[in-house]
Amino acid sequence: MTAAADGRDERDGAGGPASVGDRRDEVRRAVSVLGRAEDRSGTRGATSDLSIDEALLLHSIGWEPVDLVCGVSVTSVPGGVWNWGQGEIAVASSAHELAFRGAATRIANECGRAGGHGVVGVHVDVEVHSHHINVDLVGTAVRPVGAETHPGAAPGAGSFVSDLSARDFTLLHQAGWTPLGLSFGASFVYAPRRSAGTALKQKGQNVELTNFTEAMYSAREAAMERMQATAIAMGGQGVVEVKVTEGPMSFAHHAIGFTAWGTTVRLETGAHRYLTPQVVLALDDATVEFAATSLRG
Amino acid sequence: MTGPDEPEDVPALGPDGLPEAADRRLASGSFSSGLSVPDFAACLDMGMVPVGLVQGFCVMKWTSYGAGSPYMRGMSPYVAPSSQAGAYAETYQCPHGFVSAEHRMWGQNYEQPWVETAWGQGFGSAYQRLVDEAKAVGAHGVIGVTDSTRHLADLNVTEFHIMGTAVVVDGGQPPPRGEPWTTYLAGQRLGKLIEAGLMPVSVVATLASVRVWAYCMTDYLMEGRNFTWGGSGAQEVEQVVRAHMAVRQLARERLRHQLGHDSLHGARMTVHQRELGEGDEVIECTLSGTGVRRFKDFDPVPAARPTVRLA
Repeated sequence: MTAAADGRDERDGAGGPASVGDRRDEVRRAVSVLGRAEDRSGTRGATSDLSIDEALLLHSIGWEPVDLVCGVSVTSVPGGVWNWGQGEIAVASSAHELAFRGAATRIANECGRAGGHGVVGVHVDVEVHSHHINVDLVGTAVRPVGAETHPGAAPGAGSFVSDLSARDFTLLHQAGWTPLGLSFGASFVYAPRRSAGTALKQKGQNVELTNFTEAMYSAREAAMERMQATAIAMGGQGVVEVKVTEGPMSFAHHAIGFTAWGTTVRLETGAHRYLTPQVVLALDDATVEFAATSLRG
Repeated sequence: MTGPDEPEDVPALGPDGLPEAADRRLASGSFSSGLSVPDFAACLDMGMVPVGLVQGFCVMKWTSYGAGSPYMRGMSPYVAPSSQAGAYAETYQCPHGFVSAEHRMWGQNYEQPWVETAWGQGFGSAYQRLVDEAKAVGAHGVIGVTDSTRHLADLNVTEFHIMGTAVVVDGGQPPPRGEPWTTYLAGQRLGKLIEAGLMPVSVVATLASVRVWAYCMTDYLMEGRNFTWGGSGAQEVEQVVRAHMAVRQLARERLRHQLGHDSLHGARMTVHQRELGEGDEVIECTLSGTGVRRFKDFDPVPAARPTVRLA
């Protein structure tokens, strides 16, 4: 997205920095603030992990960052569940659900306590170990500029948690949609042993291992269904930016895992607002952005 | 706002605290800069003139057995886990009664202030040395700061390295008390920050460290042996969850203390956990970013217009 050219012109005309001289005056004015005594009368400052572009985009739709918030959960997986068996490894699937739900609840509660109305840009980190599953969420609580915290409101009540970036949140907002929360689903399934006869028949042949294929389909269907069920439970119409992981577990190659998560969204306005993007043809070369690592070769 | 944790003792190496060779190089008359060419151009456009690539190093070693650690207090659940008042600690008691001498009858989560202080001293020393170099070249600020830490030789030996480009603001006020302002931002991103009405004040960084000393239930749950005591389903490991939430909370509180009433922009949170077996682990959270101060009223940019770019 780019700032609207006509809007920028209006702003510049209203006194915003336009020329090199104005920009330099602005910097001198900014530097002079450091020489003044720190204002201690206001409330504490905001903390956020958003980029400056994301912060500006949020401001452009009337939202602001409030606080950096986290949610973590670690759930146990009893020993022996990864041994050979048949069907779904239900206890591992429920451990994943418990961990995701616990982490999401905690980050929503932190958001509520900070006075946020939702969390954007949530980094989702899921680790599946043989005996425990860790889910780690961190993001920035945001709210409409000047919005009040609801006194007496239950922590996290009404706060959405979204792994969409602030840029994506802005686009959704402009299109008339709102995020409701993180939907997730997981399933871990045994790939059953082949019978001795089947193994003998397949020896030396290039054939599909249907036990693995079927296990993958089984895990996929269960996980996607669970993710969609959590979305429906939130009152959502769909899930966007779905991420999936799939494959055999590193510590149990005969067990197939499939996990999926994304942000549940609902149309807030009567109908989707089409954004009709403007086609632009850039004449400049590709911009080389400042990259800290480039200093180290 | 204060900068990163202040070092206790910075060795003085030259008349202005810099190595002699660094003094000679910085006085040579030509400037150096770590900025990319677009960032260099953007900074010149804002009236920021690079005067030198400045750096700070510090190599720290610390032990796991600092004052306040369980090793130094007789391994008792009844003794305060830390000699530092206000440090986070929680004790967990076994629900089973006496089982055997090996049974973990109690466990604790406790903050490790000696690790945090050592980290703060390492980062703070490297940061102060960067600032000293910037002051030596008469800089008003340091932009495009990068920091890195890496282990050297041994698990508990860490190198801190911070560098950035010292700049002078053309026609700008010298910084208060001669202490240059610092920021991780440079180029157009720094320009956008200032245009949004925010002035960088200082790079801020901290580390929080929490040790999980597992009691029996945490040991069983983390090692998959919970069925031994009648548990067969999945359940949250309360002691570990609380330690994870605590270490993140401690890091954020400490950074807030450094910020005062300023805001934090571009926070980077990194969590490392080292599992030691039988449910024991060490969790460390580093949090850094740029402290910023508002110098003009909120002035949002116009609503963005989506574009499709023809490459």
